[in-house]
Amino acid sequence: MTIPRDFRLVDGTVIDHLPVGTAARALELLRLPREGPVTIGMNVPSSRHDKKDIIRVEGMVLEKRELDRLALLGEHVTVSIVQAGKVVDKIRLEVPKRLRGILTCTNPTCVTNNEPVQTVFERLGRYPFRFRCTYCERVLTL
Amino acid sequence: MQDEALSEAARAFRGRSVVSANDFTRADILAVLEAAGAFEGRAGGPGSTPQEPRLPGRVLGLLFFEPSTRTRLSFESAMLRLGGSVLGFADARVSSFSKGETLNDTIRVVAGYCDAIVLRHPNEGSARLAAEVSTIPVINGGDGSNQHPTQTLLDLYTIKKAMGRLDDLRVGFMGDLRYGRTVHSLAAALLHFDVKLSFIGPPSLKLPPDLRLEIEEAGRLGIEVESLDEVEDLDVLYITRIQKERFPDPVEYERVRASYRVDREALLPLGPELKIMHPLPRVNEVAPDVDTLPGAIYFQQTRNGVTVRMALLDLILGGGA
Ligand SMILES: [Zn+2]
Repeated sequence: MTIPRDFRLVDGTVIDHLPVGTAARALELLRLPREGPVTIGMNVPSSRHDKKDIIRVEGMVLEKRELDRLALLGEHVTVSIVQAGKVVDKIRLEVPKRLRGILTCTNPTCVTNNEPVQTVFERLGRYPFRFRCTYCERVLTL
Repeated sequence: MQDEALSEAARAFRGRSVVSANDFTRADILAVLEAAGAFEGRAGGPGSTPQEPRLPGRVLGLLFFEPSTRTRLSFESAMLRLGGSVLGFADARVSSFSKGETLNDTIRVVAGYCDAIVLRHPNEGSARLAAEVSTIPVINGGDGSNQHPTQTLLDLYTIKKAMGRLDDLRVGFMGDLRYGRTVHSLAAALLHFDVKLSFIGPPSLKLPPDLRLEIEEAGRLGIEVESLDEVEDLDVLYITRIQKERFPDPVEYERVRASYRVDREALLPLGPELKIMHPLPRVNEVAPDVDTLPGAIYFQQTRNGVTVRMALLDLILGGGA
């Protein structure tokens, strides 16, 4: 595989408008790098917002579940799919009103940490994201 | 509220699980309290008349994964007085029923033996889970430190009975505001009404920030102080126990405990009309000399527990229908 000199993607995914400081968390969530090259920009000047982090992943398309996790990192995160050097799809990530099985309750005595049941969290308001565990009713701030 | 809305709310309790006071609407609360009024004087005690059976042949399952004698006896009394029967266990540690089995399985099995379940469980959220998997209504009898909705209903009923209303009230909460489950649920439920809520407690046991914000945003926040001396006008004072395990330092615990003990003298400035409540059991936060004050209604409060639970069981299981 040849990597263009300016690290522009040929086929892959661009995760853009990550809040500054969240690139490392995004890499962790996506278990990157996997196979293809990954380039990371941190503290990059942005036209829309002050500054941002950005990640370009060659040869990878994200799954819905991964997008849901990424959406939790900030309110303006976008994901672009690149094919043959062109952006063919760009989506602004939305945090769902209900998150099933994605977050873990921080309350050790919550039933979700003691019985075989999937967690369900309800989003309270907009960014910064706060979620209420629908079981133990504790509020979690991300 | 209109009678029609109330009877619709009452009908909606049929077959419904009661998991959290946060699920209640204003109409739900008023419907239960109104239904409870019909069982007034039929829940035992001096001058009580027996209730004619409304739930004969119906069986209530009491699953107590941790002991709570008061809650269990109160539900048992309510069901028996309605002419129904009860079965279950009082403490999972001495019952072989649930050994190693998931809560999901236990609930599904017991749902085949009875018409409704009262669940007491040490894990927060257990009642929500039980209600999801159960084919019959589940009533939360306390899920860890989270919810105890029938306690909230009986507290509201006690206030309504003593004051004649739930609107236009000034309610003060004193003691453990941070971990006190009864405080959180009652305060949140009172937000459905036109109330001013004040809080008296040590800095280390302040209200959880989320609840505080909710009360503030509703425009219902009164004063927040450390001492009862700083409070002037209250209709109801709700006192809770300060638990030793919340304090890493035993000396600090003793100091805090001593300063949140009320006696007759401390209550004098608040006037003779003040109603004093406590979810019981008390340790020593309310001195025995308070018991004879006309406003001391904490024993009535526990007695009301049977009345309110009769009403709730009757609504859920369709007594008289
Ligand atoms: Zn939880």
